[in-house]
Amino acid sequence: MNQIILAIFQALLVLLVAPLFSGIARSIRAKMHSRQGPSIFQDYYDLAKLMTRQDVRSKDSSYINRLMPPVYMGSMLLIAMGIPMLTQACPIPFLGDIVTIIYLLALPRFFFALAGIDTTAPYAGVGSIRELLVGVLIEPALLLPLFVAGLIAGSTNTGAIATALASGTVPPSLALILAGIAFAAACYVELGKLPYDMAEAEQELQEGPLQEYSGPSLAMLKTALSMKQVIMVSLFAGVFLPFGSMATASIGALLLALVVYLLKLLVLFGVCAIIENSVSRVRYRLLSKHTWTIFGIAVMSFAFFLIGL
Amino acid sequence: MSGYTVVNILGAILIITSAMVVLAKSPKNAAYLYAAQSGVVVAMFVTLAVTTGSGELYLWSVSAFFTKVVFVPLVMLYTIKKMGPMGAVPSSTLSPTKILFLIAIELFICFVVINPIDLPTAVAVKPALAISLAHFFIGLTCIVSSRNILKQVLGYCLMENGSHITLALLAPQAPELIEVGVATDAIFAVIILCVIVLRIHRVNGTLDANDLTNLKG
Repeated sequence: MNQIILAIFQALLVLLVAPLFSGIARSIRAKMHSRQGPSIFQDYYDLAKLMTRQDVRSKDSSYINRLMPPVYMGSMLLIAMGIPMLTQACPIPFLGDIVTIIYLLALPRFFFALAGIDTTAPYAGVGSIRELLVGVLIEPALLLPLFVAGLIAGSTNTGAIATALASGTVPPSLALILAGIAFAAACYVELGKLPYDMAEAEQELQEGPLQEYSGPSLAMLKTALSMKQVIMVSLFAGVFLPFGSMATASIGALLLALVVYLLKLLVLFGVCAIIENSVSRVRYRLLSKHTWTIFGIAVMSFAFFLIGL
Repeated sequence: MSGYTVVNILGAILIITSAMVVLAKSPKNAAYLYAAQSGVVVAMFVTLAVTTGSGELYLWSVSAFFTKVVFVPLVMLYTIKKMGPMGAVPSSTLSPTKILFLIAIELFICFVVINPIDLPTAVAVKPALAISLAHFFIGLTCIVSSRNILKQVLGYCLMENGSHITLALLAPQAPELIEVGVATDAIFAVIILCVIVLRIHRVNGTLDANDLTNLKG
């Protein structure tokens, strides 16, 4: 019972803090541009405004277009329930499996791309294709480091990996550190920030698959996209940096874990924002070079694991 | 953590640094990275010396520090400085990913080859031994994949680092004479290779191995 409450709490937490972290990222960007910038709560105001607007759809679009925002958000809530965020173990173990997580990330991506094509808007279509391209290229680089960590910890459950790492039953080996680096890089690509924001490229595509959405649907999608960012960062923090997460169930430990978790997110988002604002967008033909290099690092970590380092 | 664990971890760092040497774009960066890698080799020698209690290895680590960390990179940097602007030489014929893949595969094959060896000195340091053997092939990868002849020289240096580590791992008590012989041999090879590189650059004005076709019939 406690586990289910915790899972729902995690999902709500991600839902509530996601706009805050994207607001913080916007604020850091403004500071780096020497601008005053919006308040860190600006994303909440934007969402509130969007909720009052009318939901307009293009006349060529089908039910896919209407289905996509709930599917996207639902998948994100489901992942948020499964991954180890505040605790070392997964709240709902079968949702915390590596393969489940990766497929739950692939499902909304599929619908996202399909909805972009469904609107028949040309730029949205191009954005969709790019989104799928990023997905195809980054998925191996997301999977292999997690599998290396899983092989080292002896389980494909992210909670079991985190527990093994945090309790020290698995000493931090070089294979694991290298896998962590590769996974961090892969997560960064998955965040959809510069230099890898292919699908929502502002200058040339004007928001890509998002461009035909308005009102509450857009609010839902925007929340879901920032939720995805929070989830990717917490997945990395939860699996590879599980230190400070809750090991025993008590209210005090939960509060401490919450503070540690938010601090971890803040630091990681700060690092991401600094990277994001110091680079320009990579040409999408070069994207595969970057992702394959990340995969190469993951292969190295696998080789290190095989030779027993 | 025992000394042999440290040796194995240093071996892994060695693989990372040598991969960076192979991946480095400019020969200058590659020379600096090579110096860093040699620093790891020296650290490995010192750890082995502490673990096995061999006095010869202390001596060898001191001489390796001066020859590998200081002298060889200095010779490389001096050569680069003497040549002046080199022009744009494509750094590699293979993409970074393919190089990383190759290194991972080489590492794995070397481990498979090393695994059945049951020498008393080799049991605790099998990963490090596999890495030292793999360095021969990583150096070869560097030579084959680089188009810049200066980086090919560095590939030779990588091969040599590998052979030194193999010697240190399997025969920590080897007398100094052997070690001095192995070490000085390397220095002269690098000096001669650098002189050849300088002369090639003077005659042809390029370092790109693909353009050196003067002798083609």
